[in-house]
Amino acid sequence: MEWIFYTLAFLIATAISGTAVYALYWSSQHGQLRDFERGATSIFDDQEPVGRMTDHFPVPRRKS
Amino acid sequence: MNRGPLIFLGIFLALAFSWTGIVLTNQIQYGRLTPFYDQNEGKTFPDKPSGLAERGRLVYQDLGCLYCHSQQVRRPGFGADTERGWGDRQSVARDYVYEKRVFLGTMRTGPDLRNIGARQPSADWHYLHLYDPQLTSPGSIMAPFRFLFEYHRVVGERSPRALTLPADYAKQHGLDRPGYELVPTPRAEALVAYLLSLKDTYEYPEAKPYVPRRPEGAAR
Amino acid sequence: MASASSLAASLNPGTPPDTGSRAELSEIDASARWPVIVFLLSALAWLLIGTVFAIISSIKLHTPEFLGGYEWLTFGRARTAHLNAVVYGWSTNIAFAVAFWLMARLSRARLRHAGLLVIAACFWNLGVTLGVIGILAGDSTSIEWLEMPPYATPLLFVAYALVGVWAVITFRFRRTEHIYVSQWYLLAALFWFPWLYSIAQIMLIFEPARGTVQALVNWWFAHNVLGLWFTPIGLAAAYYFIPKVLGKPIHSYYLSVLGFWSLAIFYNWAGVHHLIGGPVPAWVISAGVAASLMMVIPVVVTGINHHLTMVGSFGALRYSPTLRFVVFGAVNYTLVSLTGSAMAIRSVNEITHFTHFTVGHAHQGMYAFFTMVMFGSVYYILPRILLKEWPSASLIRTHFWAVAIGVTLYWVDLEIGGWIQGLQMNNPGIPFIEVVRNTMPYLFVRSLAGILMTIGHVAFAVNIVWMLGARRPAGATAPTLFHNPPAVPAR
Repeated sequence: MEWIFYTLAFLIATAISGTAVYALYWSSQHGQLRDFERGATSIFDDQEPVGRMTDHFPVPRRKS
Repeated sequence: MNRGPLIFLGIFLALAFSWTGIVLTNQIQYGRLTPFYDQNEGKTFPDKPSGLAERGRLVYQDLGCLYCHSQQVRRPGFGADTERGWGDRQSVARDYVYEKRVFLGTMRTGPDLRNIGARQPSADWHYLHLYDPQLTSPGSIMAPFRFLFEYHRVVGERSPRALTLPADYAKQHGLDRPGYELVPTPRAEALVAYLLSLKDTYEYPEAKPYVPRRPEGAAR
Repeated sequence: MASASSLAASLNPGTPPDTGSRAELSEIDASARWPVIVFLLSALAWLLIGTVFAIISSIKLHTPEFLGGYEWLTFGRARTAHLNAVVYGWSTNIAFAVAFWLMARLSRARLRHAGLLVIAACFWNLGVTLGVIGILAGDSTSIEWLEMPPYATPLLFVAYALVGVWAVITFRFRRTEHIYVSQWYLLAALFWFPWLYSIAQIMLIFEPARGTVQALVNWWFAHNVLGLWFTPIGLAAAYYFIPKVLGKPIHSYYLSVLGFWSLAIFYNWAGVHHLIGGPVPAWVISAGVAASLMMVIPVVVTGINHHLTMVGSFGALRYSPTLRFVVFGAVNYTLVSLTGSAMAIRSVNEITHFTHFTVGHAHQGMYAFFTMVMFGSVYYILPRILLKEWPSASLIRTHFWAVAIGVTLYWVDLEIGGWIQGLQMNNPGIPFIEVVRNTMPYLFVRSLAGILMTIGHVAFAVNIVWMLGARRPAGATAPTLFHNPPAVPAR
């Protein structure tokens, strides 16, 4: 009776691996794996552009 | 990497893969492991724990003994578990089939306890050790479990389980009042019953005892 | 906070996604205010509580009579209370706070339905409180990383369900075309954690598996809490803050993709390395060892990304508190993970298993990596959601140096002591009591390291409370750092 479980486990494993491989193939066909530079700069914008540091220790305020 | 469903699928598959492999496959492989029936002795091993030992297991659990003590003997040649006398053989999965909660443990601040029932079969030793580990093991860093004991007036006869403390210790700690005794509470009795039940001293086809060549003067 | 009807609208699959413009950063930050503050303050409280239990446990190990008469503080319970307070109290609360803010920022949309998150915070913290009290009272399950008694866990589930609903809505109504790398890690972490926790609860507590299958479930669960919940959130933060603070895009975005997927596949299987030599099938142990070694791939890849982004800008560490903490964390991520891969090798494991080495390693991961990255995140996030500046730079510096030195001392000390302990334990000629005696100096030093870390935590707490109480400077629309930042040297 055990062979039923083992067959099932094998089929599930194959299904999972197969889906994963297909997903990778689908990604490459649909442009998911291109244009990485746009991704890297997506966290910057006009307010906080590339080249500007956005953090600093607090400077003590002078009483004015 | 811009499609939500795609990322979700990958994430799901990653976890499904490991769950299938680590959990499901092993559950199939040995999740229904049964005790071994020994023809010669006419009984099954391992022994089912007694009711008192099972209550003791709960005390072990609630006091967190597992965080200093492991309960698994590694195979000879991998570490010195058998050489230290912590077991005759490596622990195998079948040893744990009756355990409602398995306490393999991951720290050996204290010694492995898998076979403590065989190594130290004296209940009195265990009571003393639990009351104040310094009594039996000077220099130990184990916590004292005085709250598992009661110091009360003797009623009728002295309890057979009363602890016999060394005279100077008793004097130093005010435990030498005449007509008084130090006894374990039911929790302590259960815990010690549990500890004494920890002995994998039988063999299975998959695990034969190992006879170590003990070097001269080896300690436990 | 949105009303119930708008929540219904968000949940309705028919509602079209917003096609409006991206929100201003300051708007996003303002919308995240309440959830972040509630989770942050809860996290802070648990950090202090967890630290108290840590010190108590540490002292008890070298001075067992310390508070020895109290049953509720016995080492087995105090240490467990510490672990649960810092894992489910501090680490998870702060993970939520940082994750929500990051998701709002990365979605470029105002944080909606903040009320859901605030309610979730209440349930989560109620659950953890009940859990920790339960542990001290003696209801611990003694399942590592799952010790909170079953009466606490339903509250955690309710909290997480609310978080899950919120996460799906936020992701659905995002206004970016691109899903940044941090977002993948956050979504993955938010998805993985409840599955891990649920399966562990079912297979260990409600319908316990038989025998050592329990151990496999336990360590699949516990190690994955580290690798699939805390690590992704820590990495998400590092991948956002290092480039953001520097104003420099991440070194190689392609490597981020590789790093993410290799982590997803390999980390899952590594948990079995806690059972090397144990009574489980040899093949699964070998698979765990193999996966632990394969982890070198995502770790090196992520390391290259983080560290090469920093190259040329190390001077910035002088100016940015966030960068200090996050880079410290990222460096330790690389180190601790490589150590972990090494520890999975059987000949190394023979020595380190069951020793203080593992404890040192665990703290390097959860503290020197994860907690430090979270500290850095708080230093960035809080001024922006409150529109106030940190009151004291000296407190920040005190915090940083105290915990940086403290945690480094901690893991170096325990790894050295643990290594020696392991070598001696494997020598049957050395009596066990002597092995224990030889660990004592290392246990003392650990307590000292812990005290140093406590000082840092106090500095942190004081700064936060001070900042919350301080009045916002008149006319401020953004923290001083957005406009007229002090001059920093060019990259």
